Amino acid sequence: MIHETLKADILIIGMGAAGQLAALYAHDENPDLNILIVTKALKGKGGCSRMVQGGFNVVLNEADSHEKHLMDTLKGGQYINDQDLARTLVEQATPTIKEMETRFGCFFDRNPDGTVHQKPFAGQSFDRTVHKGDLTGIEMISRMTEQIMKRKIQVLEECRAVDLLKDKSGQQVTGALILNMKQGKFIRAEASATLVATGGGPTQYRFHAPGPEKSVDGLGMLYRAGTLMRDMEMIQFHPTGLIIDGSVVAGSLLEEGLRGSGAYLYNGNGERYMKNYAPDVAERATRDVVSRSSYLEMMAGRHCEEGGVRIDAAHLGAEFVLKNFPGMCSRCAQFGYDLARGPVPVSPSAHFVMGGARINRDCETSLDRLFVAGEDGGGVHGGNRLGGNGICESSVYGRQAGKALARFMADNGTAPPETDPEMVGELMAKYLAPFGRNGKEELFVLRDELKECNWNNVGVVRNAKDMATAVEEINAIREEAKTLKISGTRAYNMPWNIYIDFLNMLDVSDMVVVSAMARKESRAAHYRSDFPEQDDDKGLFNSFLTRSADGKPSLITEPVDFMYKSLRECQIHKK
Amino acid sequence: MESTKGNTRKIDVFRYDPTQGGDGHFDHFDLYIDDETNTTILDVLIRLQKEQDSTLSFRYACRVNMCGSCGMVINGREGLACKTNVSDFPAKQGITIRPLNHFPVVKDLVVDMGPFFKHYEECLPFFEPRKIMDEPAIIRPDSKERIAIGLATECIACGCCVSSCTMANYHENYAGPAPLNRAFTLLMDSRDALYEERMDKVLQSCYNCRTEFNCTEVCPKDISCTRAIKYIQRLAIKEPFKSVAKPKPAQDVESSPEPEPIIMNTAPGTSPVIQTPAMDVKHDTSRCRHESTPAIPVEAIEANNTSRRSFLAGLTMGIGAVSVLTVGGVLAASFVGPAMQKKPPLWVPAGSIEKFPVGQVSTVNLRYTENVGIYKQELVKPVLVWRPPNQNKIIVYNSTCTHLGCTVHWDVNQNLFLCACHGGAFALDGSVMAGPPPRPLDHMEFKVDSGNLLIAMV
Repeated sequence: MIHETLKADILIIGMGAAGQLAALYAHDENPDLNILIVTKALKGKGGCSRMVQGGFNVVLNEADSHEKHLMDTLKGGQYINDQDLARTLVEQATPTIKEMETRFGCFFDRNPDGTVHQKPFAGQSFDRTVHKGDLTGIEMISRMTEQIMKRKIQVLEECRAVDLLKDKSGQQVTGALILNMKQGKFIRAEASATLVATGGGPTQYRFHAPGPEKSVDGLGMLYRAGTLMRDMEMIQFHPTGLIIDGSVVAGSLLEEGLRGSGAYLYNGNGERYMKNYAPDVAERATRDVVSRSSYLEMMAGRHCEEGGVRIDAAHLGAEFVLKNFPGMCSRCAQFGYDLARGPVPVSPSAHFVMGGARINRDCETSLDRLFVAGEDGGGVHGGNRLGGNGICESSVYGRQAGKALARFMADNGTAPPETDPEMVGELMAKYLAPFGRNGKEELFVLRDELKECNWNNVGVVRNAKDMATAVEEINAIREEAKTLKISGTRAYNMPWNIYIDFLNMLDVSDMVVVSAMARKESRAAHYRSDFPEQDDDKGLFNSFLTRSADGKPSLITEPVDFMYKSLRECQIHKK
Repeated sequence: MESTKGNTRKIDVFRYDPTQGGDGHFDHFDLYIDDETNTTILDVLIRLQKEQDSTLSFRYACRVNMCGSCGMVINGREGLACKTNVSDFPAKQGITIRPLNHFPVVKDLVVDMGPFFKHYEECLPFFEPRKIMDEPAIIRPDSKERIAIGLATECIACGCCVSSCTMANYHENYAGPAPLNRAFTLLMDSRDALYEERMDKVLQSCYNCRTEFNCTEVCPKDISCTRAIKYIQRLAIKEPFKSVAKPKPAQDVESSPEPEPIIMNTAPGTSPVIQTPAMDVKHDTSRCRHESTPAIPVEAIEANNTSRRSFLAGLTMGIGAVSVLTVGGVLAASFVGPAMQKKPPLWVPAGSIEKFPVGQVSTVNLRYTENVGIYKQELVKPVLVWRPPNQNKIIVYNSTCTHLGCTVHWDVNQNLFLCACHGGAFALDGSVMAGPPPRPLDHMEFKVDSGNLLIAMV
């Protein structure tokens, strides 16, 4: 099959906050750089950065400090964060948010005196979340997309990267194979440096917060390329995903600020169960704790009529709720719920992948010429991410990556080595295979099986037996997937794209279950009913994995490096 | 809330296959829906694709009204598929789903948003800082600009407004509602440096709006583009010369004994050039828009804005184009005649004839003092000087629009004199080309004395 070839200095895969800021900062360091952005969606319309509701944690107030933000982040991550990444996060967040206002034109909500407003979020020792109403992502991504337009940086819309390209040695990344979804044609994009910034989006679970277009694509392609991955057992479940039976809206979030502001959670018996699980902070506990508590209530049969638990903000006053959470109120109203005056059914919802490629503060990975920023990278958040640290990570590390990419190009920006001549043909054949098959059209059935398997066995609560079942089921689904057939033409073929999404979900499911089995304790987002205690003697490690020759993950663990803050300091920190 | 349970809906979906071409057609589906209050049109499409026809194509991403990918025409009205519920339509009513109007169709319900973003980009939708600041600007949430901007920055560029607009299809150069809305939010943003460039780009487009409010009605984010468009027109009247060029501090102006009139020369079809250093403001629009703007002290911006406000006050008092200037020069008192109806002309110097290049239209602000009753008023009056090529000839136009007295300005790109108020347009010879003006631009009497152009104010 004929394919088009494009060459660039820098190839950026993904156009959320990480990809956009990387492009902007690299361009501003050197406007002559030829930067190519590819995005699965339309310009600035895909991904989770745009869907950010709550906001951006950042130290702006003299009474706050980077020290406090760092300690909150380490405490939230239950100590297994890469401390250098966490420190870079909190320190660089301050200039990043300021530059978003002063250089790129964002305008965040203000205090009455005209300074930037910061609101409370769970798990934080200071009210430090910058926001624009309760739909912060729209402001950030719209403004930055316009800055990309202003700089005339080339963007290929509805063009998804399917796999990274490498040279014969396998150590150097030479670009990516791109599928132009609109035309159904492949593009071979080669670049001196490649940034993967697709965002995660664990949609391989029954309930998921990210839009269905998200499908852990970056994690899948990084893994297949042989990149060293870390902490893949750490999947965050957000406690308050809407339950709308049968609708694709199910799992979409009611934002953290509701709990931050004092909303209550009730089980099916009308009890504020969080007072039993976290007596001190109740609903303001971190996401891992609240999600697990809700899940255990649901499993114990104390669920509400709709199957989950209920969030209730009515006691805060309808006027307060309507004024501060207009987006959430209108989201509920669309389905007949009045958030300002009554309870709304919610469930834990797969939200964020804390694990990802191992990176350093310059976003470099284990492969040459390959950079990773945002949710595709791991280590910043340890075992659990604080609300408001997500868009913070993608922005800060997008900016770090942009600067690092410009430096890389200045120092050793040579053309990439020749791509393995076999690779492009093999990959195209792999992705085109379902068109020729005389197989079954059961893509949606298989995908739903995978989601149920992950939800039930590798979800909020895990144990050895369930995970062993999951391994078998995932393997069986993978075998079945080899018989899948796709019909129709290639142009704008949605099932074909869902098939490619599904392959990524399968690979990531493998990584998650293998890592989760290796952690025989409960820590942060990873909870095992067969090892319900956190074990600071045996559990202070990070898991690293790569894809072995047989296509399965091979895993090693390394002790956590307490380079800035000792375990003791982390343990005694009170939020 | 009353829920409609268990209903089979008749659903017609537009189909277009790019490999087949043609005009497309509608496919009919019957779909049993269990709970219509919990089912969005996006759910309907996903189910149709899953259960009945896997080749059906549509576009979506976030599924919660945040990305603006799933705009389509549902029973004749634009909306986001994810924000429209089946129960929004009376039970048993059929549902017809079409792609957005005025966009090329890629496949089925998927349109090419390229033309939309082309117009969007042409409106300079991006922020350009007046000055690189270290800290976010201190702007109160109850400031005039933020109240005016409100939630208009929440646009998600879904294209519903453009599809609903009856004008968008007939005026190729019409930017359309969403791009103008974005321009409006930036024109109001005191942090932004491109007021005049952006105004130049978008003002003419605003006159294509016929105030039908379709865009406002269909906007899934409850933004009124109509308001934004009318606001731009109002800004153009109130602050036609707002700019970011470096203003001199007010004291310098006062100490200047005989201020130079400000002249801006613009040759038809060429980029405008500033010939005299701008004391008041006119700004070189040919400057590269991507360059960062020279730093301007904030106080200077504010001083400049203050004079704008006074300027504005003059306009709103109904004096028409003649406005009060807080600072400025004083002409010889002997020029001042009695404030009677039939006063003799006041010959106001406009500067050396050399300053009016042949083949160009120059705008000159005449400054003079007039007695109004017992007051002396310092006035400034823009006039338009046209020197046709290859002729030893000068034409001086009164800049007052012959319709309702607003100030017209020379638009070098369109080769027209344009009025910001109601879209009046005049050709180089003064004749009416468009809009409501009842007669051509008025000529003004002038004479040349010792190489200086003098214009008669009556």
